[in-house]
Amino acid sequence: MATLHLLSHSPFGDSRFASCLALLGRNDALLLTGDAVHALRAGSTPWESVQQLPEGIAVFALDEDLAARGIAPSGRVQPVNYPGFVELCCRYEKVNSWL
Amino acid sequence: MAKSLLLVSRQAPWSGPGAREALDIALAGGAFDLPIGMLFLDDGVFQLAPTQYPEAIQQKDLTANLQALPLFGVDSLYVAQRSLDERGLADTTLDLPVQCLDDAALRDLIDRYDLVITL
Amino acid sequence: MKFAIALFSAPHAPSSRRALRFAEAALASGHEIVRLFFYQDAVHNASNAAVPPQDELNLPAEWGVFVRHHRLDAVVCIAAALRRGVLNEEEARRYGRPSANLGEPWDLSGLGQLHEAAQMADRLVCFGGP
Repeated sequence: MATLHLLSHSPFGDSRFASCLALLGRNDALLLTGDAVHALRAGSTPWESVQQLPEGIAVFALDEDLAARGIAPSGRVQPVNYPGFVELCCRYEKVNSWL
Repeated sequence: MAKSLLLVSRQAPWSGPGAREALDIALAGGAFDLPIGMLFLDDGVFQLAPTQYPEAIQQKDLTANLQALPLFGVDSLYVAQRSLDERGLADTTLDLPVQCLDDAALRDLIDRYDLVITL
Repeated sequence: MKFAIALFSAPHAPSSRRALRFAEAALASGHEIVRLFFYQDAVHNASNAAVPPQDELNLPAEWGVFVRHHRLDAVVCIAAALRRGVLNEEEARRYGRPSANLGEPWDLSGLGQLHEAAQMADRLVCFGGP
């Protein structure tokens, strides 16, 4: 069952980000919200990890959180708005929020 | 058929009510005869470390609640090998009969359940 | 699709706002919300006692308007609420507290309601943390 993993903590704060990446299934996806979008800052360590994820894993980020932090999505990252967020929850069979 | 739920507990036991409240979700699910699994991940593995004395900081012991899991029908209990290794608990006898899983097995585990709550 | 939405964070956490915007978008997209369930610090989102500065979001108020407008089933975990001082009239009386800060549209109930919602819904979506 393909899972949409939802992160909102900064990747620099604790082990959530690393644990989540290590446990992503082949067809899973990642949706970064809140401070988790700091993982998309080009040149940062977590950004390197995101680039290295297997191709089958889609990476999404909530557009308002990117905008709020002045981060431009690049490469494989697909920005989504709230209707897009809702659609992703329907597209994937379950949502695993790393609270 | 009822949907299965995997509860992933990531919080250390004495850092607030988080660990206890995660456990309560599992126990409530068990009480309703739902298929519940529980995985201890990251700092959550500290809940399973033996010989702790939470009385020293006026906290209630979590052990009784953890031991209640099988009594509530929650006997699919797992722990992340990597989390144990990182925290120096790899060779420790844990407080609960849990199955130790590596990352690949954990990916399969999460995949198998219908629902996941990671707290 | 039927959504169950569970919230775990306090009103000042950005995830509480995110959960509300998600819930609004889900309904706007034609989906159904079978239940909102507030657990842990999210019980403060159901309190009517918070007084945020006037130029800041008043999320508990926004949640109240949203739930009332769409007549949603909105449940606050009773054990989590009591522990954090979020009480309705009945509980305030029972425990001899001077005031209640939880009124309609919220129901105080147990964790069974979270499980029931997750079973009824096609998707369980949890919000919490920052």
